[in-house]
Amino acid sequence: MQDVILEMKQIEIQFPGVKALDKVDFTLNRGEVHALLGENGAGKSTLIKCLTGVHHMDAGTIMLDGKSITPTSPQAAMQMGISTVFQEVNLCPNLTVAENIFIGRQPMKFFQIDWDTINSRSTQLMDRMGMNIDVTRPLSSYSTAIQQMVSIARAVDVQAKVLILDEPTSSLDENEVKQLFKVVRDLKAEGLGIIFITHFLDQVFEISDRITVLRNGKLIGEHLIGDITKLELVTNMIGKDMNEIFNLKRAEQKPSAANVLKAENIGIPGKVEDISVELKNGELLGFAGLLGSGRTETAEMLFGVTRPLQGTVQVNGTDAKIRDPLDAINQKIAFCPEDRKRDGIIGDLSVRENIYLAVQAKRGFLHPMSRSEQMELARYYIDLLSIATPDTEKKVGELSGGNQQKVILARWMATKPDILILDEPTRGIDVGAKAEVQRLMLEMCEKDDMGIIFISSELDEIIRCSNRITIMRDGAKAGEVDGENCTQSDILSIIAGEQKGGTQA
Amino acid sequence: MRKQHLDGILKSKIFWAIIAELAILIVCGILRPDFFRLKWIDQTGMWSGSLIDIINYSSEITIIAMGMSMVIALGGTDLSVGSLMAVSGAIALKLLRWDVVEFPTPGDFTVRPFALVILVPLVVCALMGAFNGTLISRFKMQPIIATLVLMVAGRGIAQITTNGKQFTTMFEPFRQIGLGGFIVPMPVIITIVVVTVMALFTRKTSFGMFVESVGINRNASRVSGLRSNRIIMIVYIITGFLAGISGLIYSSRISSCDSNNAGLNYEMDAILAVVIGGTSMTGGKFSLAGTVVGSLVIRTITTLVLFLGINPDAIMAIKAGIIAVVIVLQSEPVRRKMSELGKNRKQAIGGEARA
Ligand SMILES: Nc1ncnc2c1ncn2[C@@H]1O[C@H](COP(=O)(O)OP(=O)(O)OP(=O)(O)O)[C@@H](O)[C@H]1O
Ligand SMILES: [Mg+2]
Repeated sequence: MQDVILEMKQIEIQFPGVKALDKVDFTLNRGEVHALLGENGAGKSTLIKCLTGVHHMDAGTIMLDGKSITPTSPQAAMQMGISTVFQEVNLCPNLTVAENIFIGRQPMKFFQIDWDTINSRSTQLMDRMGMNIDVTRPLSSYSTAIQQMVSIARAVDVQAKVLILDEPTSSLDENEVKQLFKVVRDLKAEGLGIIFITHFLDQVFEISDRITVLRNGKLIGEHLIGDITKLELVTNMIGKDMNEIFNLKRAEQKPSAANVLKAENIGIPGKVEDISVELKNGELLGFAGLLGSGRTETAEMLFGVTRPLQGTVQVNGTDAKIRDPLDAINQKIAFCPEDRKRDGIIGDLSVRENIYLAVQAKRGFLHPMSRSEQMELARYYIDLLSIATPDTEKKVGELSGGNQQKVILARWMATKPDILILDEPTRGIDVGAKAEVQRLMLEMCEKDDMGIIFISSELDEIIRCSNRITIMRDGAKAGEVDGENCTQSDILSIIAGEQKGGTQA
Repeated sequence: MRKQHLDGILKSKIFWAIIAELAILIVCGILRPDFFRLKWIDQTGMWSGSLIDIINYSSEITIIAMGMSMVIALGGTDLSVGSLMAVSGAIALKLLRWDVVEFPTPGDFTVRPFALVILVPLVVCALMGAFNGTLISRFKMQPIIATLVLMVAGRGIAQITTNGKQFTTMFEPFRQIGLGGFIVPMPVIITIVVVTVMALFTRKTSFGMFVESVGINRNASRVSGLRSNRIIMIVYIITGFLAGISGLIYSSRISSCDSNNAGLNYEMDAILAVVIGGTSMTGGKFSLAGTVVGSLVIRTITTLVLFLGINPDAIMAIKAGIIAVVIVLQSEPVRRKMSELGKNRKQAIGGEARA
């Protein structure tokens, strides 16, 4: 092929218990977007990590621009012209946005760091990404989405030949994805080769030129974008036919169901205010809205992660004092958080320990679960959610991103809650697993009479599953619609503020 | 399957700590042929010998290092344990010699019942641990700074307790703590009890896992329902309490109190014991078994230095050197190199077999 910029050949790597890559070939041309697809744990991130020197591969060669290279660290790779946005945001929360963008390559003036350049350049960069934010504030004061944009800005700014984006859009909403794609198209026109990993097939078809599919560490195929349909692609990825996954049925709402959760006018002045939420047994309530609209903040208030300064919360009809997450757990509430690295996984603990952690927290440390109970619980959920791990004792931090997400989901399902709050639960998990999670949600509503609050930035997912949808805007409730008879455009117009939401349920 | 097992052992840190301990022991054995000999002493009813001495004199460090393991697993450090030992000894001696004028004989004791002489120092030390825990959990102070307060103030408190005097006691029940024994010296018995209790407490309940969880990711632990402040508090209280026990052993050994020197630099030795035992200073997983080995390594090094006839003042430097070697051996890059070497060799052997 002409104009090859990067060529990886016969890449192999072995981790304890898994052959993560088995003789994988991968080529990238100048000026193309090449999508790398596969199930959770297929080896996508591992391939990237071999390319950037995070892992040392056992065999294989990498040619960049016709020369053989062996990067030993992401820094070294960057100097060779390979710039990467890793799946797990790898920034320093305590530093400012600008510092994060320039860390490790600070411009100097008279032997001093040139702060003016750093700050003005960062503002420009973030503008280009369509983000109008104060770059001198610490990164931790911004949402996951903005953090993700920051790490992209950082990668885009260096002079590179190859840009790697490992699930850059997992917590972005539509507008931000649009902005990102604009930048990607610019870079592509400049002749960069771009590797794009994602589980959103629509995005793949929108932006990529070529697709490579991995499964269980093996190369399954390489296709030009016009040569393959979405369905074929899915079949390729998961290795079986997945027709049935696309027709889920919403849970039947029982008209007589009682309120399991009722929050009135809760809020933290200045952030989110006057939020009222009602949730019935067996109901799936969707939370739609832009990032930063207050969905996560509301969920965190309901679960006691942050304490609401106003308003009241009732669980099962009685006033509930929820001062911290343990109180919430004791009220049979569970909360699967959005930022799995910060609020979710305990990286150095095993899959088993991560799964039974919340159950054990509820019991208190003096009433430990027996080893066999722990194993049983872990095995059950590994099976149920098909978590790809060689055994229960593997460190969660060593699982692939999507499988970490499943472990956290398992931790909360294991508490057998009455109220389950899921904040972007399908973030970073593959198509098959996503459908499976949605199916499970609906099943829990229907069979276990659980009330579920489901936050997602993907509108079609929300519409497909929810009985009722609350739409939030700018830290307040903007409207509410019935899940069964509403369309994307109804919701979008409420989000945009063009129309006051339908019926107040 | 077996190969994987071996790989795991080669990579585990405690394995290398044990190798280090054995190596130093062998050197000692070469220097002193009678090093490994144990002798039964009829008068005391105890075994005696260099090995027993090493275990005996490592007791204080081992005991505080049990607490220190958890402190470090939480991502903290406790610098105050040495000073707390001094406090504990000072209080015990003050209680023994409350009224020196009326009871001038060191063989008597003045505060009754005798249990108070043991309990009061332990409770005070536990309270001081609670003080550390409060500063760290409620006031979010850095553990190093927070525990520095009592590290400095503790010796002052010890001084004040005894009015700056160095009391001596000949009261036999108290002397038994450090000098008595039954088959083995009493400090060894106390250490075995403490280690067993701590091992059961951390691993038979979920406390150990909770500590690790908070040490690895405090935020996520909180969201998962752990009350991290309470866990931090308990850990520092336990550590203070254990420092109290060590202080009693120490002052019983010297039948006296010594505000300036009791437990001096013991916090460093305890931290080193934990680190040699394979617990990382960045927090996370801890291993009490490793810590016990680590403590033995430190004491054995001291013994070796004494054997070599080197000026005891140099002990610190030599310890530092050996410890640096152990820690480098355990470090990630070296262990990875080792396992890569192992892999290559396996492949080479495999290749030969095929050829
Ligand atoms: N550091 C590690 N140590 C051991 N095993 C690892 C490590 N990193 C990844 N693995 C294993 O390698 C396999 C491939 O993981 P990888 O992260 O490449 O998956 P992925 O395709 O990126 O999946 P996802 O879509 O979930 O991000 C998994 O089975 C994972 O458990
Ligand atoms: Mg990945």
